[in-house]
Amino acid sequence: MICLQEPDSAVGFMLNGTSEAVRLTIKLTAIYSLWTGILQIMSDSGVEKTISKVFAPITKRLFKGASKEAQSSIAMNFTANFLGMGGAATAMGINAISQMGEKKTNIDRNMMMFFIINVSSIQLLPTTVIALRSSYGSKTSSDIILPSLVASIFTTLIGVVLVLVIEKIKDKWKFRHSDYQIRHPERSRKI
Amino acid sequence: MLKFSQYIIPILVVILLIISLFKRNKAFDSFASGAKEGLNLAIGVFPFLAAVFVCVTLFKVSGLAAYLTTICKPLFEFLGVPVELAELIMIKPFSGSGTLVELENIYEQYGVDSYISRCASVVLGSSETVFYISAVYFSKCNVKNLSYGIPLALFITFLGAVFSCFVCRFM
Repeated sequence: MICLQEPDSAVGFMLNGTSEAVRLTIKLTAIYSLWTGILQIMSDSGVEKTISKVFAPITKRLFKGASKEAQSSIAMNFTANFLGMGGAATAMGINAISQMGEKKTNIDRNMMMFFIINVSSIQLLPTTVIALRSSYGSKTSSDIILPSLVASIFTTLIGVVLVLVIEKIKDKWKFRHSDYQIRHPERSRKI
Repeated sequence: MLKFSQYIIPILVVILLIISLFKRNKAFDSFASGAKEGLNLAIGVFPFLAAVFVCVTLFKVSGLAAYLTTICKPLFEFLGVPVELAELIMIKPFSGSGTLVELENIYEQYGVDSYISRCASVVLGSSETVFYISAVYFSKCNVKNLSYGIPLALFITFLGAVFSCFVCRFM
């Protein structure tokens, strides 16, 4: 669309996009290095193990078949998300996803679950928004905490349930399909 | 509450350092070796960010965003979401900084403590930047096809926005 209207500025706009990406990457390098450093201290001093033990009942149930390392990364990601440590959460999230999908080229149930839970936001205190509100002179800057929390829990629950339902349907469909092939090999070959 | 929340992370870091001291772990060395990993993460993330940002910029400046917003307005009205928030909700999946700018505009225009501003705050407080997360999280593994992941994520974000405005009426 923009190519037709203003061909001169199209490249400029795209460059705007990439330079914003460069700026963000430099900022992210700083944020990630700080948090991966702190996370390394956590794992070396055994704090990570404790956290992953606390979350084990949840992670084991939601992420069946995930490796121990992946589960502990997931637990750390959840903790960082709860506390609003965005950088730490992303660093751990990248680790968790790559540990879950090491030799895979297709997304599986666990990765989908993890992605959806992260997207639906599980932050306990929306610190950025609260800070912005009080900087604009709000008298009740923190009264959005409770509604945000309710909304977050609601979306996370819906997300988890939807992933479970969709994966169940997919499994059933696959099962029926294979069942059909076993019973009628000659027919299914024709199809 | 705000004062308290500002202290949480620094205090946790101090506690962590104390624990590490007690366990006789070399905190400095651990930090240095971990920080090296941070650089790799950022470099791995960059190509995907560049791609996503080009798409987002084009989406915004081409007028497609504004066009979609006008199309969706009746839908928002029907669901009880203030129409003023339409743009905010549309931008949110694409750009975190973009939504913050939009949020400040809303604060300035309607006043921080108005119903609309509170709705906007809750919508932001309870949602994430879908495309950023999908680009960054999957940057280090071979999975590139998210099947139904993105549509489901967008649907949930939208549902969350509607629900946020609903909650704001009572709380």
